Amino acid sequence: MKDTETDIQDNTNPGSPLGARGEIEKGKTAKYLREKLGGISEQAKENLKEFNRIKKLMLDALGEEDLTVKQLTERLNMPSDEVVYYLMSLVKYGFVKTGDIDDMDEYYTYKLNK
Amino acid sequence: MSMDVQKKNMNYDALVIGAGIAGGEAALNLANTGYKVLLVDKELSVGGKMIMLSKVFPTLDCAACITTPKVSEISRHPNITVFIGSEVGRINKLSENEFTAQVTRKPRYVHVEDCTACQLCEKACPVNVRDQYQFGLIGRKAAFIPFSICSPKAAAIDIDNCTLCGACERACPTNCIDFTMEPETLELHVKTIVIATGFNLFDPMNMPRYGYGQYKNVITALQMERELAPTRPFNTILRPGDGKVPDRLAYVLCVGSRDASVGNPICSQICCMYSIKQAQLLMGALPMADVTIYYINIRSFGKGFEEFYQQAKGMGVNFVKGKIGKISEKENGNLMLRYEDINEGKLKETEHDLVILSTGVLPNAGIDRLFENEKLSLDSFSFIGQSDMLASPAKTSIEGVFVAGTATGPMDIPDSILSAGAASSEAISYLIQHA
Repeated sequence: MKDTETDIQDNTNPGSPLGARGEIEKGKTAKYLREKLGGISEQAKENLKEFNRIKKLMLDALGEEDLTVKQLTERLNMPSDEVVYYLMSLVKYGFVKTGDIDDMDEYYTYKLNK
Repeated sequence: MSMDVQKKNMNYDALVIGAGIAGGEAALNLANTGYKVLLVDKELSVGGKMIMLSKVFPTLDCAACITTPKVSEISRHPNITVFIGSEVGRINKLSENEFTAQVTRKPRYVHVEDCTACQLCEKACPVNVRDQYQFGLIGRKAAFIPFSICSPKAAAIDIDNCTLCGACERACPTNCIDFTMEPETLELHVKTIVIATGFNLFDPMNMPRYGYGQYKNVITALQMERELAPTRPFNTILRPGDGKVPDRLAYVLCVGSRDASVGNPICSQICCMYSIKQAQLLMGALPMADVTIYYINIRSFGKGFEEFYQQAKGMGVNFVKGKIGKISEKENGNLMLRYEDINEGKLKETEHDLVILSTGVLPNAGIDRLFENEKLSLDSFSFIGQSDMLASPAKTSIEGVFVAGTATGPMDIPDSILSAGAASSEAISYLIQHA
């Protein structure tokens, strides 16, 4: 940990070597941090893999027909609460949209946002 | 992560710790009187818990409509400097009106002044993690705007979950993403301090008999608050367990409050009313649904509260005087509530399809440990002690340090704002006396 003393009145952003050192190209700083840290965490890698796997499964299933959470749960053999979480995330990201509700006003169907 | 830490000296008249509704109000009062204020919050936005609410009781006014103009005023005020994503470290009192405080600013990895909140980084980011601002009901990206009415409205990078793929940087039209940012520790000199660190909510995982975390259709009232908000996680009110639209909802009051067995014997003062508020909103959102509130006593003590309670009864909200002993789950995700009907003196069981736990208010512990050469006294429930509760309720055990809002104990929004007014008046008086 290195300490440097400076007197200032105000500062709206934390310090950055960008520009000051001049050697890191703007817009390519992720590479700098990746190299500095020696890679990324295993957990972040696993989380990304898992999301991509579930996203593909869900979009493939919805590509065949519109489905409810219950139907997706059976198709994907996943816990229904995880289906809700990932499905609603895909709705938020614009991959999926909400369809009609069933006759009992209980479950919505979900469809690909083509 | 090993990072260099820079140390810089800064001078302000007042340090306000916590940028919720109380801290924000205190900062505005001080700033409007001409004092230079530093407002610090550990979250990524100003506004505290109030900015996350749907509506407020007993008027049912939109919470965001009240909060956002105030937040905007705070953010633009020439006498207020806001440090969000920052934490206050050790504090020392040097003399009558001179304190030093360390503030560590965590890197946001985004130059806020250059970010246009275009969300292209969000779109490009491949990561999905649970969104803490939607209380885990839905995902968000690692490059994300915390929530739609956050202030400052700018992206942030969740570095713990970021894969450092650089997609956000490539998508950013203003080149405002900067992974070279590092934590920064600042040494502040201030003349007075206002503590407005708010409260924590009881973690219902500490009451396993209610099944929170285990039964997916048992949620907290803050999760329901998000489901009811205009910026809700789902298209309508849904059970997180299976996406069903619920039609038999139950509120369980006093979860983690008025309960010595979980270490919190005091009343949280707001749970009855926020539950009644949500019940009324649910009657509007789901007109065919039955909503039942299980309570020990309804404490409708404030202005307009009793009328609000009677209004809920008139709308058809069912009130049952009974303490829930245990919740169990059926195969279809519905929940069986076992309780003592206090009026009838009988044990009963009732089925509901969504249970909302109205969790109690707890102190936001730890602030007293920051003071190194003075003792900040706490009360017997670990809220910040008021040295003269009746005559000067904002004074603490340290002269020059004042307290605002729920840092002193449970209270509703109007009382928090009143308390912030008192704290800022005391602070201004202190600054004048010690000029």
